[in-house]
Amino acid sequence: MTDQTVFSDATQAAGTGETMIELTGVDKFFGDFQALKNINIRVGKQEVVVVIGPSGSGKSTMIRCINRLEVHDSGRIVVGGIELSDDIKSIQEIRKETGMVFQQFNLFPHLSVIDNITLGPRQVLNLPKGQAEELARELLIKVQIPEQANKYPGQLSGGQQQRVAIARSLAMNPKVMLFDEPTSALDPEMIKEVLDTMQELAESGMTMIVVTHEMGFAREVANRVVFMADGEIVEVGTPEHFFDDPTEDRTKLFLSQIL
Amino acid sequence: MSTVTSPGAPAPTAAHHRRMTPAKWLKQNLFSNWYNSLLTIVFGAFILWVGVSLVRYLLHIDTEIIRVNLKLYMAGRFPNEQLGRLWLAIYIAVAGAALLARATALNAQRKATEAGIGFSSRSNWVDVMRRFWPIGALVVFTLSFTETITPTVLTLGAAAIGLGAYRIGAALPTSIVRRSWLIPVVGAVAFYLALAGFGGVGWDLWQGFFLNIVLTVAGISLAFPLGLMLALGRRSSLPAVRLLSVTYIEFLRGVPMITLLLMGAFALGFLIPGDVQFSLFLRILIAITLFQSAYIAEVVRGGLQSVPKGQIEAGQSIGLSPWKTMRLIVLPQALRNVIPAMVGQFISLFKDTTLVYIVLLLDLLRAAFVSTYQPEFLAQGLDAVVLPFAALYFWVGSYVMSRESRRLEKKLGVGVR
Repeated sequence: MTDQTVFSDATQAAGTGETMIELTGVDKFFGDFQALKNINIRVGKQEVVVVIGPSGSGKSTMIRCINRLEVHDSGRIVVGGIELSDDIKSIQEIRKETGMVFQQFNLFPHLSVIDNITLGPRQVLNLPKGQAEELARELLIKVQIPEQANKYPGQLSGGQQQRVAIARSLAMNPKVMLFDEPTSALDPEMIKEVLDTMQELAESGMTMIVVTHEMGFAREVANRVVFMADGEIVEVGTPEHFFDDPTEDRTKLFLSQIL
Repeated sequence: MSTVTSPGAPAPTAAHHRRMTPAKWLKQNLFSNWYNSLLTIVFGAFILWVGVSLVRYLLHIDTEIIRVNLKLYMAGRFPNEQLGRLWLAIYIAVAGAALLARATALNAQRKATEAGIGFSSRSNWVDVMRRFWPIGALVVFTLSFTETITPTVLTLGAAAIGLGAYRIGAALPTSIVRRSWLIPVVGAVAFYLALAGFGGVGWDLWQGFFLNIVLTVAGISLAFPLGLMLALGRRSSLPAVRLLSVTYIEFLRGVPMITLLLMGAFALGFLIPGDVQFSLFLRILIAITLFQSAYIAEVVRGGLQSVPKGQIEAGQSIGLSPWKTMRLIVLPQALRNVIPAMVGQFISLFKDTTLVYIVLLLDLLRAAFVSTYQPEFLAQGLDAVVLPFAALYFWVGSYVMSRESRRLEKKLGVGVR
């Protein structure tokens, strides 16, 4: 995090240097609208990349392509050495290795907190029930809400729900975590508890791509900040470079609008 | 209305109400101005007139026709010497229902214990009475028309068996409790064997209100899974499956049920090649099932659409296969969301079983109607007695179903967003 190198090239991965996620020439269309234009980025193992940009710039679309919630139209996506293709097996493999946290939490309202977390391990990894629950309880301690295990999502605050969602993703023991505006639906007083959980996760060495508007988080936790606009990656750099000395005009304009 | 209380100050309003004299209450609510007074007088007179007529009618009603024909209404022309089989079947149904209820309760208890939540196993009798008293009242009402003590004794026997089965149910082995679907399956086979097995009474002689009940229960049990499959088929990614489901649903929903019943009764024999012969009962049951499954498919489809897309994405993102996402995440929420519509469909199925009238099956409605053609009751305006009598049975059944649906909704609403 103290790395002062300016990564102006998005394909220069930080972290351990080992590549975890690689997007090469990725395009995505919604009808005639081009949501992603020739996206090239490489994310290193244990790296935290924060993606910022105005709404409609393709940030969410990009990370949703990584675990096939959206289908990219051309280019290559490789996650943990597996290339994403139409083959359902490769999709399942990548989803197993990739956790995702959503803006709207998307917890399963008909299942208790513990069942939300154990569902993946039991159904996908075939973990026995007892073992899955033990794992779930450990994760709930990690996100600091062990006392909520038997409640239902509807009984929790937004911040607590989002932390359960993080625990649910972690239960699959993913190599990569994708965060799609994880704090945008939260009341201000709950944002911090979720960001703290994410920061802890980053410090534990998880590879993360975070789409967010939380500039403080970007500055403090990110190895690299990616600025996107109109479906393109406009600028990439360390937080210091990005916030204190941006080179692109569009970046400067965006920062002047939000800061 | 003056009964509207502001939520901020309920206590003073209540006190105010208590202090109000009847005269004051009348003035405020019924005679506050000249047109209110006029409405009160006109409607008061009308209600009084209806009430007096009704009481006078009920006092002079001759229930002889019901007393003579009670067996016809309940069981049609089920052979008298075989009635023991009918009672045995009822006992099996009662015992099965009680066992299933116990197994369901035990399952809920087990889940709650595993989750470490307290579970109130006060499945007390007050609760059961509150839920099912209309049925109890209807049974007592029915028994009041019997001429011997035997039916009453046999009914008490059914009650005793129900209680006993519920007690014994506590000792059900966990292996069966976990597979509680076994109880209705085994129960249905035993039910059929009790009636028709070993030289018994085939289903073409299952008549009267018994027929309405059998058609309802069998219709729901068959139409629900079929409808579920059709709804899933309609969302399938395979074009052939989708087309087939849509065609089926839209075709059957576009046809009056009576047409299907008539087809089942009179045309099916020509449509099916070879010597395959289904009994009339089966053909009608098939017609009802086909028709209802199309409606249930649409109800389920509504439920599937009510589940937010984010739920599916969350399922996919933890690596669940499309089928598991559907089964474990989408369907449970979808079905919960459509309980009221689904029970509404079941209620309408229950009432629609009277349409078998058109194909000459002797259900309760037809039995009630034909009894007025018996020589001793002919042309005495007794339709006014037997039709409300028949209607009462359907009303009670529908009412209890609708109350149970509301209860289920509340119970399953635990995890609402």
